[in-house]
Amino acid sequence: MTRAWLAVAVAGACTACSADHGPRFHAAGSRTPRAGGVLHVATEQHVSTLDPALAADEVSLYAIHAMFDTLVDYAPGSTALVPRLAARWDMSADARRFTFTLRDGVTYADGAPVVAADVAASLDRARTLPDSPYGSYLADVSSIAAPDARTLAIELAHPDAAFIYTLTMSFTAPAHRAGDGALAGAGPFTLAAWEPGVRVVLARNPRYYDAARVHVAGVELRENVPADVQFLAFERGELDAVDHLAAPDYQWLAGEPAWQPYLRGASTLSAFGWRMNVRVPPFDDVRVRRALNYADDKAHALRILGGTAEIAHGLLPPGVPGRDDALAPYPHDAAAARRLLAEAGHADGLDVELVTYAGDEPERLAQSLQADLAEVGVRARIVTMSFAAYQTAIGKPDGPPLSLAAWGGDSPDPTSFLDAKLATSAIGSDASANDSFYSNPALDDLLDRARAERDPARRAELYRRAERIVFDDAPWIFEYHRRAIEVVQPYLMGYDPHPVGIHDYASAWLDREAGE
Amino acid sequence: MAAPRRAATAAILVIASLIAIAIVGPVVTADPLRGDLDAGVSAIGAPLPPSGSAPLGTDALGRDELARVVAGAGSSLAIAALATAIAMAIGLAVGVAAGYAGGRVDGALMRSVDLVLAFPFLLLAILLAALMRARGSGEVGGTAVVVVTLGVASWPAVARVIRAKTAILARGDMVTAARALGASPWRIAVRHLAPNVATAAVALGALLFAQTLLAEAALSYVGLGPPPPAASWGRMIYEARAYYRTAPWLIAAPGVAIVVAVLAFAALAHALEERA
Repeated sequence: MTRAWLAVAVAGACTACSADHGPRFHAAGSRTPRAGGVLHVATEQHVSTLDPALAADEVSLYAIHAMFDTLVDYAPGSTALVPRLAARWDMSADARRFTFTLRDGVTYADGAPVVAADVAASLDRARTLPDSPYGSYLADVSSIAAPDARTLAIELAHPDAAFIYTLTMSFTAPAHRAGDGALAGAGPFTLAAWEPGVRVVLARNPRYYDAARVHVAGVELRENVPADVQFLAFERGELDAVDHLAAPDYQWLAGEPAWQPYLRGASTLSAFGWRMNVRVPPFDDVRVRRALNYADDKAHALRILGGTAEIAHGLLPPGVPGRDDALAPYPHDAAAARRLLAEAGHADGLDVELVTYAGDEPERLAQSLQADLAEVGVRARIVTMSFAAYQTAIGKPDGPPLSLAAWGGDSPDPTSFLDAKLATSAIGSDASANDSFYSNPALDDLLDRARAERDPARRAELYRRAERIVFDDAPWIFEYHRRAIEVVQPYLMGYDPHPVGIHDYASAWLDREAGE
Repeated sequence: MAAPRRAATAAILVIASLIAIAIVGPVVTADPLRGDLDAGVSAIGAPLPPSGSAPLGTDALGRDELARVVAGAGSSLAIAALATAIAMAIGLAVGVAAGYAGGRVDGALMRSVDLVLAFPFLLLAILLAALMRARGSGEVGGTAVVVVTLGVASWPAVARVIRAKTAILARGDMVTAARALGASPWRIAVRHLAPNVATAAVALGALLFAQTLLAEAALSYVGLGPPPPAASWGRMIYEARAYYRTAPWLIAAPGVAIVVAVLAFAALAHALEERA
């Protein structure tokens, strides 16, 4: 018995103490990007398709973005637009006509030239493929023309200054059928191998028009690797970065001084909170909605997320033009919440159902909100659904009236959040994108005007007013915007989390001595 | 015989203190379900290490780990006790019936035992828990599912041992004499068989208890244990697995508790076995 006890004690002690906590690998010290090497990264999800017209999930798009260059793209680490296959572009004064001029002499990996008609074909394909989730992005397009090999003209039925962002999306990339029948693009990398569910291997495109932009010889993206397992592999040097650190691993790294230079974060295009169906009592009463916003202590959500988020005052995440950074989030104010509830006739409290889906984080967020609500007399019963059941239930008019909301925007533009989630036009009878069924003509009017506004400053002003309306009407309990936190090996350069969620494998380079 | 006796005494002492902790502890410690995301976690939500106000630290929800280990003693021991009782009740009934009746009854009952034993224990438990979980929900319902699952998955081992003991006794002089004197099978089972298998059954029960305690932890670890926010040792380890680096105390505390309890019950079973 004594020896068994000793063993237990020693085992416990060893968990707590292990000698060196800093990075095991080091940079060679090059000041300029080195070429060569294979970038090893992984994802918790899997790549579902490599067809840009069909890929709707983030991870498939990681690989697709590397294989299919678009006309315009985001600059590394920023929401600013840079030209890629388009040498330049122009928007008409009424924000309805977009004209692109393609670069000269761009070819696919097999040498075939890239022509403007290829882009037109990609757009048509997205519109006509029944399984493409992107047709709706082009719903407002009235004509697409390629008058010559290098010119593309797109005309919209209604003004939309934000339409340019659509051309950063992979489904708009020119593509052609290569010799093997697979769809190929004109991106910095080509597909070397794909074992579905296991890994995607990319190789540097030898014919890429901007060869100086690409450094690594290839990329291996491993699929279906849980975040904590990724971190273990990272520690062993099998991965060069962990893109989405699990909160406990981040918390550990955050406490290790030696790791600080290699921890990176960026706001993501996301909004999280709890949507309320504003047509259903008691959430049809704005006082109740505001009360719940006051009751929710958003600092709790931040702590549940392990510090990988920032508090939200609305739907627009930091970095999106038009976001009113001066607008303070609803403070945690239990007294204000109780007062509003009493005014709304719920002095004796209120019974609500809190719908979330299975998973550590969504369940903890629900438990935390439940406790916050209890403090102001709102008795919340947590209903945990499977993710599939949750997805089916959300967006139905008779679906759960109060449920966990997570939204990822397509572009760093307010339309991707406000128009998509809160405009009257986004209300559908089934699987409604506007899943709080919020409808306000004043907001609709501002959004319509902003869409047509070409001047960025005036446009931003309109969105600031829209933000105020959304804040006051509180169709959600606004909680947080997620931050992407990644850790990189000291020798991995140029691989920072991107605010729009893309992964730019081209900008990455490995500062390792050959043979190391 | 001194060593086993000392071990038995120590085991009984440990078990008695575990039970005492389970009963008295919750009165003394903090609320095991009360999360504190204000003072119970760091600014970025990391669990806090052991301190004066939380001797075993806090978990990621800011709950007091000591309070949860103590509350876990109650629920883990209660779950193991109830599940053991179910397994013992079924196992004893089947074992005595099969061993005494012999013949076809014996064959049929033992084949059913074989059938249950043919499934790996954990697989069977997961299957049962998943089947029952699909129907019931809620906190009490969820815990009841765990109890029934563990009980139903554990009885065949009991039935086997008891059947073997009973079969020997049933052919012995005592039972033959009782039968000759016209005693009913029921009377024979209660008066002659039960007392004679009792010692073995108690030893078996203690061992089963230890196994059930571990099985509850295993079931919790695959997410089929008592539903949150209940504190059971297995569930606590399950919830702490991601924090092994950040907050090793979250695994150490319930882990040590499980090891101590299992060792104590195993030692008790061993001592009882030697006496039997």
